[in-house]
Amino acid sequence: MKLAPCRTWRWPVLFVVFLIAAVPANAVDYYSHATMAEHLAWLAENEPNLVHVRELAMSREKRKVWVVEVGAGAEADRNTRPALLVVAGIEGNDLVGPVTTLSWIEGLVKKYHESSATVDLLNATTIYAVPCLNPDATEQFFAEPRIERCVNGAPNDEDHDGLLDEDGYEDLNGDGLITMMRVEDKEGQYIADPNEPRLLLQADPLKGEIPVWRLLPEGIDNDGDKRWNEDGPGGVNFNRNFPFGYGYFAPDAGIHQVSEDETRALADLVVARPNIGIVLTYGAADNLRKTPKSGPPAGRSKPMEAVSEKDIAYYEALGKVYCTKLGLSKELEGVSKPGTFSDWMYFDRGLLSLAVRPWDAAFAVESSKPRKADEGNNPHDVNSPDARKKPAKDKDKRGQDEREQLKWFDEHAPDAFVAWQVIEHADFPGRRVEVGGWRPFARTNPPPAILDEVAEKHGEFLTDLVGRLPRLQVAKIECRLLADSIYEIEILVTNTGFLPTVLAHGEMSQEVLPTRLTLELDPQCFLAGERITRLPAISGSGGTAKARYTVRATGIDLIRFEVTSALAGRMQGTIELLKEGEK
Amino acid sequence: MTTAPFTSSSSRYTIRLVLSWLSLATAASAGEQPGGPSPTVHAYPALGIGAERKVEVAWNRFYDHAGLSDILARLHAAFPDLTKLYSIGKSTEGRNLWCIEVTARRVGKPDRKPGMYVDGNIHGNEVQAGEVVAYAAWYLCHQYGRLDRVTALVDDYVFYLVPMVNPDGRDFWLATSTGAMSGRTGSVPIDNDRDGVADEDDCDDLDGDGTVTMMRIKDPQGRYKEHPDYPQYLMVRARPDEPGEYTLLGWEGIDNDGDGRVNEDGRGGYDLNRNWAWDWQPAYVQYGAMDYPFSQPETRAVARFVLAHPNIAAAQCYHNAGGMILRGPGREGGEMKGSDNRLLQMIADRGEKILPYYRSMICWQDLYTTWGDEDSWLYGMRGALAYTCEMWTSRNLYKTDHHPSDEQEAEFIRDVLLGDGVVAWHEYEHPTYGRIEIGGTRKEWGRLPPSFLLEEELHRNMAFALYHASMMPLLRIADIAVEPLADRLFRIWVTIENRGPMPTRTGQDIDHHISPPDLVSIRGADLKVLSSGLVTDRFFKRVRAAESRPQRLELDTIDGMDATRVQFIVEGGGPFTVTVDSAKGGLLHKDSALP
Repeated sequence: MKLAPCRTWRWPVLFVVFLIAAVPANAVDYYSHATMAEHLAWLAENEPNLVHVRELAMSREKRKVWVVEVGAGAEADRNTRPALLVVAGIEGNDLVGPVTTLSWIEGLVKKYHESSATVDLLNATTIYAVPCLNPDATEQFFAEPRIERCVNGAPNDEDHDGLLDEDGYEDLNGDGLITMMRVEDKEGQYIADPNEPRLLLQADPLKGEIPVWRLLPEGIDNDGDKRWNEDGPGGVNFNRNFPFGYGYFAPDAGIHQVSEDETRALADLVVARPNIGIVLTYGAADNLRKTPKSGPPAGRSKPMEAVSEKDIAYYEALGKVYCTKLGLSKELEGVSKPGTFSDWMYFDRGLLSLAVRPWDAAFAVESSKPRKADEGNNPHDVNSPDARKKPAKDKDKRGQDEREQLKWFDEHAPDAFVAWQVIEHADFPGRRVEVGGWRPFARTNPPPAILDEVAEKHGEFLTDLVGRLPRLQVAKIECRLLADSIYEIEILVTNTGFLPTVLAHGEMSQEVLPTRLTLELDPQCFLAGERITRLPAISGSGGTAKARYTVRATGIDLIRFEVTSALAGRMQGTIELLKEGEK
Repeated sequence: MTTAPFTSSSSRYTIRLVLSWLSLATAASAGEQPGGPSPTVHAYPALGIGAERKVEVAWNRFYDHAGLSDILARLHAAFPDLTKLYSIGKSTEGRNLWCIEVTARRVGKPDRKPGMYVDGNIHGNEVQAGEVVAYAAWYLCHQYGRLDRVTALVDDYVFYLVPMVNPDGRDFWLATSTGAMSGRTGSVPIDNDRDGVADEDDCDDLDGDGTVTMMRIKDPQGRYKEHPDYPQYLMVRARPDEPGEYTLLGWEGIDNDGDGRVNEDGRGGYDLNRNWAWDWQPAYVQYGAMDYPFSQPETRAVARFVLAHPNIAAAQCYHNAGGMILRGPGREGGEMKGSDNRLLQMIADRGEKILPYYRSMICWQDLYTTWGDEDSWLYGMRGALAYTCEMWTSRNLYKTDHHPSDEQEAEFIRDVLLGDGVVAWHEYEHPTYGRIEIGGTRKEWGRLPPSFLLEEELHRNMAFALYHASMMPLLRIADIAVEPLADRLFRIWVTIENRGPMPTRTGQDIDHHISPPDLVSIRGADLKVLSSGLVTDRFFKRVRAAESRPQRLELDTIDGMDATRVQFIVEGGGPFTVTVDSAKGGLLHKDSALP
């Protein structure tokens, strides 16, 4: 697949001068599309040798989707180095992911001028970042009224009545937010939580609970079908639009897999960049806070259902690193969603693919709990004290998580919950209707006050990740003269990175090309061995592979060779052919 | 010249007679020659197609993309009231994917008639699939107005005919010396041997005879011998206890890239018929699937077209070979609703009679598992009743229920084809293998019918497609009955007939809300709809009322060979119009009036 041609991007000179003067310092709030454009323009103008910004796609509402490439040197070199891909804003309610991604890149670029370790990193590896794949959805954060929407604007008949997008939300209490409304309704399903009346619980008839409330999104029944706001503008959730585990006919999955221009551009990008060895996607899916389940490796003709047993150890190890860096001592719930980009990258393309939400309410609650030091509490260890504690029976746990979260917000960001406010609603004459509930985006994006801290911790994890890519080195070249001009050659190659040169599923799926060692020597010269040798997978942390040859090399002083690994980089070397008598 | 006596005494005739005698005398050795006006003037039809053709096409041969496109263009120019011709997209190499839309443009609303989508040649080497789709367009245009059944089809329905989905593969296969199976793929270079280079070692026409055949080498340990009766090109396996003479080396070619393997990375290397968005699986599960569904311009163009035409109720995809009428599911456990399967089976059973030696089969069960193929998407995701038809079977060579043996095929080539189709073994000096021999059957043998059976294949397959089309829904607002209830208060019953066996929405359609519900609505200047509902029992007058929006009643489907009745309770007076709006059934209006 060929990528769309690069478009270099030039701003008028005056604007450039203005931007250079207005260096964005630390992120303090979420990025609108225009703000992101400014940050990217600054990077492109001030670090042209390190940061390359390109338009990946154009959204429906004509907003640019960018891909940012970070690495030193020429493009051809960057595209053969081991690489990390970060994707954010793939779900419309992820505003923190784009901030995390861009502030990490800005930090890295700054460190490049200060630290030799970062210089080494950006000379030896490449970073690809798509800081916001679905700007039409994330921009709803800045819309009037603010709507938490995960989908783009593609028209869709969600309620299957033959009309498109005919019943969206309305801001009934004029607070500039779309929250929820609760309606006194005998046909409802909810009661107020006795422990926290702002929250609702599903009425349990077995406990004698009679429902009081009906819970609906804020708005009116525009199309008169006795359903409220069931078919609003949009759309497709880009993180449900990929082939693995695709949810056929799900309202937010798109008319078919990879249906949107943006998702297609992202798919074409990863196909055109086979050097990507680690992918991290910010969104609802999560395989870092909890190790995903594993299963037997795929058969040649059998679709896979769980991470291969042979690869799960890497997921577990990186999950541990994540929890340590983020200060999590308890394993939270993992999350799996159908049709995610992260699942496609592992199950169909055989690459190490991580997914997490940079922050959510559950995380906030957990990190605010005092850490139990020195108990060796490893959230991924089944035998840790926490895991062994059994939950007390007979205690009504309903709504406990939500109550804990509300308590946290009351202390740290009290405007996260909009107090219930009585209104008159034309669709429910004579009945009590209240508007209120969670503030849009509040539970998936941290309060601006702690945004920096969240971004910084994630930046540390991202830097750690880049350092885990596989890296090939030539460990040893041995050359022995047997007789005349016949030599016995042995080349030993080693992987100094953490990850192997290919995962077990990368090999099984055949998506990752095998590592090749190519000698620049006429095939006729080989008495044993071949010009192109395929090396097996090389495990990380010093794993090795070797190739041996017997060659007849008359009148040649040296033989050049190249080792090409899809994920671990490319390097050249030279074999010096010692003549008789030389040492 | 004639010697019959002339009755006229005109001197002209006398002179002519004299002259003719003279020419008789002087041209004793010249002989008479036939000649005269164009043969079509003297042509009379056999049954099947008229003798007078506005667009002359020889259907006993194959045409490349330019040739078949030209036929479509001539058809459209000759029948502007029956056709529209447009491109639905471009192939990898930039060839247009033409669609010829056939319907009576002045009858009904062309865009709202139930639609049948027919395409062919998604595998480039399956060339006769292009001809059959073009033949269908040609036949429909020429027989419109001549045969009532054709006229009805073209008036009531719209046909979307796309003869060549993979024109790049088609042209490669036809024009280049190649083997029978090459050209199946699209054009994008694929690194099949995973050495970092794509398409670097394809077959080669070493002996320059215009075709790629097989190579063999004399080998005392070889396990093959020449067939005693057909030594020119037929090989047999030696018995386990007897020595052989030859080792077979595979398709004609050399090691182009010096990696020690021959023909291991040829042109392309993927399968456009595994690139569809239903039950798609990556390449390690399903060879040729490419990186994601609809990644290729050809499949994406067809998908976009079908999505933009929600009136498509039936579909047929043409391939070769094997003599099969295939329906889904493509894989075990794939979705297929019982009611839809019954209909598909019934239609395919008739197909077996229209196409002798063809068999009605379920893909995964009777053939093999396919993931992400076209007819599975057309049914699974669009709810259209779809088939894949594999054209041509060797059972037709001798009109038998079983496949003829290799010897019987060799006899056919010898006695019926007079040797056409084989290349006798001949020597060649191969750079790696040394002295070898090249020979075997030509690419046209095996998957394609011979010229004199090609037209039969085209017509019979088309006839099956037209039979399939005739099963599509055919709606009519049969009756509007008005019953006064009180002053300015009326009960109206509308009867909607479907005279086609297919429902307006298939089981798959209903289950997954693929097309919008069928809508029945009523409007009038002085009319207010108070209530509406579906009549569930017309004798006991049971009605299931709609909960909201009574002016637009939503129906799950209008069943095949059935009548649906709906009730409106209205207040008002004067004229009104009833509208039935069904995505796959059509858009109908009928006027009436309140007393």
